[in-house]
Amino acid sequence: MEHEDPRNGESPHRSSKKPKFSSNYIPESEIRDEFCHHQPRVARINNGSFGSCPGSVLAAQRRWQLQFLRQPDAFYFNTLRNGITASRMIIKDLINADHVDEVSLVDNATTAAAIVLQQIGHSFAEGKFKKSDTVLMLHCAFQAVKKSIQAYVTRAGGSVVEVRLPFPVNSEEEIISEFKKSITEGKSNGRKIRLAIIDHITSMPSVVIPVKELVRVCREEGIDQVFVDAAHAIGSLKVDVKEIGADFYVSNLHKWFFCPPSVAFLHCKKANASSDVHHPVVSHEYGNGLPIESSWIGTRDYSSQLVIPAVLEFVNRFEGGIEGIMERNHEQVVKMGKMLAESWGTNLGSPPEMCTAMIMVGLPSRLCLNSEEDASRLRSYLRDCHEVEVPIFYQVPKDGEDGVRDNDGCITGYVRISHQVYNTLDDYEKLRDAINQIVKDGKTCKMLCIE
Amino acid sequence: MASSLHSNNTQICPNPTALNGGSAADGNSQISKKPRLYADPPPLFIPSDIISEFSHHDPAVARINNGSFGCCPSSVLSAQNQLQLQWLRQPDDFYFNQLQPKIIQSRTIIKDIINADHVDEVSIVDNATTAAAIVLQQIAWGFAEGKFCRGDAAVMLHYAYGAVKKSVEAYVTRAGGYVIEVPLPFPVSSVDGIVKEFRQALRRGKQNGRKVRLAVIDHVTSMPTVVIPVKELVTICREEGVDQVFVDAAHGIGCVDVDMKQIGADFYTSNLHKWFFCPPSVAFLYCKKSTNNSDLHHPVVSHEYGNGLAIESAWIGTRDYSSYLVVPKVLEFINRFEGGIEGIKKRNHEYVVEMGQMLVKAWGTRLGCPPEMCSSMVMVGLPACFGISSDHDALELRTCLRDKFGVEVPIYYRPPKDGEEGGVVTGYARISYQVYNKVEDYYKFRDAINQLVDNAFTCASLPIS
Repeated sequence: MEHEDPRNGESPHRSSKKPKFSSNYIPESEIRDEFCHHQPRVARINNGSFGSCPGSVLAAQRRWQLQFLRQPDAFYFNTLRNGITASRMIIKDLINADHVDEVSLVDNATTAAAIVLQQIGHSFAEGKFKKSDTVLMLHCAFQAVKKSIQAYVTRAGGSVVEVRLPFPVNSEEEIISEFKKSITEGKSNGRKIRLAIIDHITSMPSVVIPVKELVRVCREEGIDQVFVDAAHAIGSLKVDVKEIGADFYVSNLHKWFFCPPSVAFLHCKKANASSDVHHPVVSHEYGNGLPIESSWIGTRDYSSQLVIPAVLEFVNRFEGGIEGIMERNHEQVVKMGKMLAESWGTNLGSPPEMCTAMIMVGLPSRLCLNSEEDASRLRSYLRDCHEVEVPIFYQVPKDGEDGVRDNDGCITGYVRISHQVYNTLDDYEKLRDAINQIVKDGKTCKMLCIE
Repeated sequence: MASSLHSNNTQICPNPTALNGGSAADGNSQISKKPRLYADPPPLFIPSDIISEFSHHDPAVARINNGSFGCCPSSVLSAQNQLQLQWLRQPDDFYFNQLQPKIIQSRTIIKDIINADHVDEVSIVDNATTAAAIVLQQIAWGFAEGKFCRGDAAVMLHYAYGAVKKSVEAYVTRAGGYVIEVPLPFPVSSVDGIVKEFRQALRRGKQNGRKVRLAVIDHVTSMPTVVIPVKELVTICREEGVDQVFVDAAHGIGCVDVDMKQIGADFYTSNLHKWFFCPPSVAFLYCKKSTNNSDLHHPVVSHEYGNGLAIESAWIGTRDYSSYLVVPKVLEFINRFEGGIEGIKKRNHEYVVEMGQMLVKAWGTRLGCPPEMCSSMVMVGLPACFGISSDHDALELRTCLRDKFGVEVPIYYRPPKDGEEGGVVTGYARISYQVYNKVEDYYKFRDAINQLVDNAFTCASLPIS
């Protein structure tokens, strides 16, 4: 199925509104087939949360799984390690790393955060760092990462400084400026900043952060280590770890790079890849370097780490390969975002150049979205009653600030829409109409009925 | 009972009476093979069902190493695939509405099987290796936060699993703990030797005013495999004032009796993919409710940090949790064997002992322990003429058996002790027995070894890799 001849490409439907494909590339009908396991009729505009995986890659995964089940000992001794190395080599090339030793495969960015933070925690506990030393993170860092900082840094006695980024955001300068302010705070009273954790693309609200610039600032300011949490990056924007220059860089492969759940890579710059970075699930390979440690953490299903060659085959069936996919996703999500903002009379959360395949779109103030519960309620309502899957962000109004307004009041809620190759115009029109319907019915979030 | 191994056909039958036309006792022979949904439980398996359930195993291999990676029947694999597709179909909906209730369902089934008091005591994790990291990390914090004094001890068996030893190094030694290994005799002739060594090790641990903060005790050691008298050792630990006892029962559930209240440990972990027919991979970690161990955390910290280990472990970032969710289906599978898991355990044990005795008789060697000290695995001495003299030799012999004879079995190198005469057995094979095995598997192994002996094979003649 995955090797079907794409020469008989069909012309795209009205509903896809995509550029016409050259007949050498994967036709529209095959894209639909590849994602036919997605629930039909659901406007699935949340690729950002859990990603997606095409049928041909799932089939490749099944083959790996069956190989293990058939004769696990032979697989363990003869096949597994080479398969993981082959995947790591592909990643190394994709991200422009110098050496495959710098590339480890782990389950997800959450695991990578635990790896990086555990070594920081050790340094505090073992007296290498002073108790007053700090770790810098963004205020909107992913919740799981914040908890990890609590578990490994705060618990070990370290302090934490949060960078408050403006949202909606208008330019990169705003971000850089806030970042510099926080560094000053982190270094006040003779303290040292031991680690800066910078998202490449923040989750909620979603914005592309100028990481290259921020890493440069960190070096200038003498920050020990920089960890870039790029959970959404690969398959979303170009990743060049040499250019970015961080000590640690992690990205999930199951979000925007079509891998099955779940797999991520963690890049450790060789100079700093001290032997003191370890996988927290310690097994036989302890002490043999993080990539080797991570390649065996006890008996489990490693098949998601082995399908990367199959994923490469898949993306190369698209015009322009992964770059072409990224470009078109970006174009479409901006177009759809503008369409929604115009229909609702609201705004975008960031300028188009500060987003990739996701964008924040303001919700009408008449929805009266005034709490996390309201956001949650609206999301469930959209799922249950309109078959639309989209995450909602509640923007806590800043004291004394009016925030962005529409014709009726303050905009306090945003949807985060995603665009991936399986999305069609219908998906976004469905969301548009659902919100317009709620407003027309005079309903606020609190009034929505959910099961 | 054992004679059923040599019944008319060569397939080991889980229910010998069914082969002979069925008995009044089970009355199943006329019932359709499809499990019924309502009042009556599904019928017991017949031999062809078993063959079918494990038809994905390589038929050319005598697979007598269930102990390493376990096995999973195709009906459970199908159920797992359904769950995977459910997630892929609409992951947000699955995440918000299905995942947590299904994990709780699995945890509840496990709680009942292991006789735990409360489902809060049962966490599901990937494997025993992960469980060890969880338990040992809290010990490391105990040292780091000054709860323990530098030099306080942790005790483990010399035959503790390699990965666990590394974990002890990473979390205990590194944090300032003093690690004591309990030497155990092997071959072993009775539990007395084990108990004696253990007591001595605890005494060493308490010397110079040290406290023993943790004892790590295998329920069934891996290599060489022996069943350890854990209940007795836990009692000794309590008598001697050991803070916490962690039983590593990677081979526990489906292999030996696992009764948490009886055993009385603070922590107990067992893999479910080894002997409990789950797909790779899933394990449970039992934590007895007490103030002593409320500070356990999963090392992969996510949103649920601080909400209790069981809840933390139920979400450690986006991944495939399907292996955690098939436990109900596995229970259905198990209950189609006579006696359920107890019946399977009993028969596995009987057959592996019978096969082990057959092999040692054929080779003129010996078993590594008395039958009552083994579970569904037993160590079988290999002919001394092979001259196995290193771990490398053992691995090479294993590879040779796999590649040239189609036999999969792990080999253990047992170094000769001072004073032992030449001709002592230095190599043991760890044979396993699981429901898919047949007597031919063990004949194949017997014949392979006999052929190597006939060819005057020695490990010295193996190529150096």
